[in-house]
Amino acid sequence: MSDQRTALLDVNNFFASCERVFDPKLEGRPVVVLSNNDGCVVARSAEAKALGVTMGAPWFSLAPMAEKFGIVARSSNYELYGDLSSRVMEIAGRFTSHLEVYSIDEAFLHLSGTPAQNSALAAELRATIRRHTGLPVCVGIAQSKTLAKLANHGAKKSPYMNGVCNLDDFTPERVNAVMESMPVTELWGVAGRTRKRLTNLGVLTIRDLRDSDPEFIRKRFSVVLQRTVHELRGIDCISIDSMREIKGQIIYSRSFSTPVTTRAEMEQVLAVYAARVSKRLRKQGYVAGALTCYAATSRFANAENHAPFVAVRFDDSTDDPIQIAAACSQALLGRVVDGNKYVRAGIMLHEISRAKPSEFLEIFTPVSELRQVGRALDTVTDRFGASSIGLGVAGLKSARRWEMKRELLSPRATTHWDELATVFAR
Amino acid sequence: MAVVVDIAKVLSPFDDAAGILVSPVGVAAGFPSPAQDYFDGRIDLNAHLIRDITSTFIVRVAGDSMRDAGISDGDEVIVDRSIEPRDGVVVVAVVDGELTLKRLSVLRDRVVLRAENPRYPDIVVASLSELTIWGVVTRCLHRV
Ligand SMILES: [Mg+2]
Repeated sequence: MSDQRTALLDVNNFFASCERVFDPKLEGRPVVVLSNNDGCVVARSAEAKALGVTMGAPWFSLAPMAEKFGIVARSSNYELYGDLSSRVMEIAGRFTSHLEVYSIDEAFLHLSGTPAQNSALAAELRATIRRHTGLPVCVGIAQSKTLAKLANHGAKKSPYMNGVCNLDDFTPERVNAVMESMPVTELWGVAGRTRKRLTNLGVLTIRDLRDSDPEFIRKRFSVVLQRTVHELRGIDCISIDSMREIKGQIIYSRSFSTPVTTRAEMEQVLAVYAARVSKRLRKQGYVAGALTCYAATSRFANAENHAPFVAVRFDDSTDDPIQIAAACSQALLGRVVDGNKYVRAGIMLHEISRAKPSEFLEIFTPVSELRQVGRALDTVTDRFGASSIGLGVAGLKSARRWEMKRELLSPRATTHWDELATVFAR
Repeated sequence: MAVVVDIAKVLSPFDDAAGILVSPVGVAAGFPSPAQDYFDGRIDLNAHLIRDITSTFIVRVAGDSMRDAGISDGDEVIVDRSIEPRDGVVVVAVVDGELTLKRLSVLRDRVVLRAENPRYPDIVVASLSELTIWGVVTRCLHRV
């Protein structure tokens, strides 16, 4: 058995916690963060969750409750979240030889110490992130990514653990008890039809799934669910990309066959990936309100550059590959260092909503965003293959800026000089 | 081949908080090192003013209670959250839910957050643990 362990680092209620960094008044108050395009809840503080505020609830529907309980709403401030995220990831990179950024607020770290050393390291990581950024995080440590996720869940739910849960500290009986208490739906990607079929087979809890025959699971369900069974048994076998797909994120993320070492090459990569990810979006009839974009080197000689990770919010939701490519390039390329060997990159889309016809907005809409470009691209790539046509990286116009719903937006205090946070001298 | 030394790793928080400057190229003596001739770009303010990028924030000052510390209304200050707050440093403290600029004074029997302007009162508490210190101010950017 290998002594390698996987730690999952996850910021607690990330967006809501970010809002508190420069606004300590929000500490202890229920905070919700709204999507920019439709004003629906996309994140909640622990207090808001406790009040029963649900994800996706439109803000106007919460008005009576908000008044009564003093719920504070903020528009999503992707500039702030992206910057704080990159600080968290950079700190995490100093604690491991291998960091895999999973999402804007989650990352897997490879650990190779004894159980006690791993727990101590995780506690130090947690304290450092808190001190440096003000953000609360939890760390789960286990033998596989799926188990690390379970451990992280435990760290979040049990305050006595002080934010670190190491499954190596658990007896097998206690692991059994934990898994018995958790329904299979607590696992990434087990919902809907899969859940129903598992229920019919008597597989209700995570322990039931772990103790199922992996071959049977593969035949009746999928290779992916079979891998989950292995993961629950302590065999690390799910890649970070399939993990993301399981979670249903709209993402395009790939490793390169040969490392990318220049900004110019990275710009081309981003243009191609933007075309691919936006195609997924259009296929399903969606637009995105924000994106995150990252690149990563394989060996992290230089902590600062191992995994640049940025977030961009669109003034208007979009499925336009040109806008998506331009946003990725503008945000990420400045953090890409010529000469570093990047082995992968990815684009993740957020604030996904149904594309709706918006004639009245069309006069404000950038020409490329009239969706013909995207559709034309799809037609060509469907007929002639994914590499038959691409986006030119020259001649990109920066997206026109007009602001909407700014009244609930906190200052972009770490990315915009004219929006720095205020400290009072009085 | 120039050897790049990460100053952040050799400078302790205390050195920086005390305003001790460490020259990245050392004191000139004898022949200049070939590394110094290597043109490595212009002076980078980020490199000189920011010890750790993950813990450093820039915030804008509103009010004149820190006047005698040379911090004026409208100035920007650089705050490093990773520096241990100790006696004598200027801190950003959380007071009544607001980020507030004060001089930290750690005495034997009490801790005082002092304004640097006689028109403003001090805030006195029994110990440091009663305060939420957001970060330690390392620089003031004042327009002249
Ligand atoms: Mg989280």
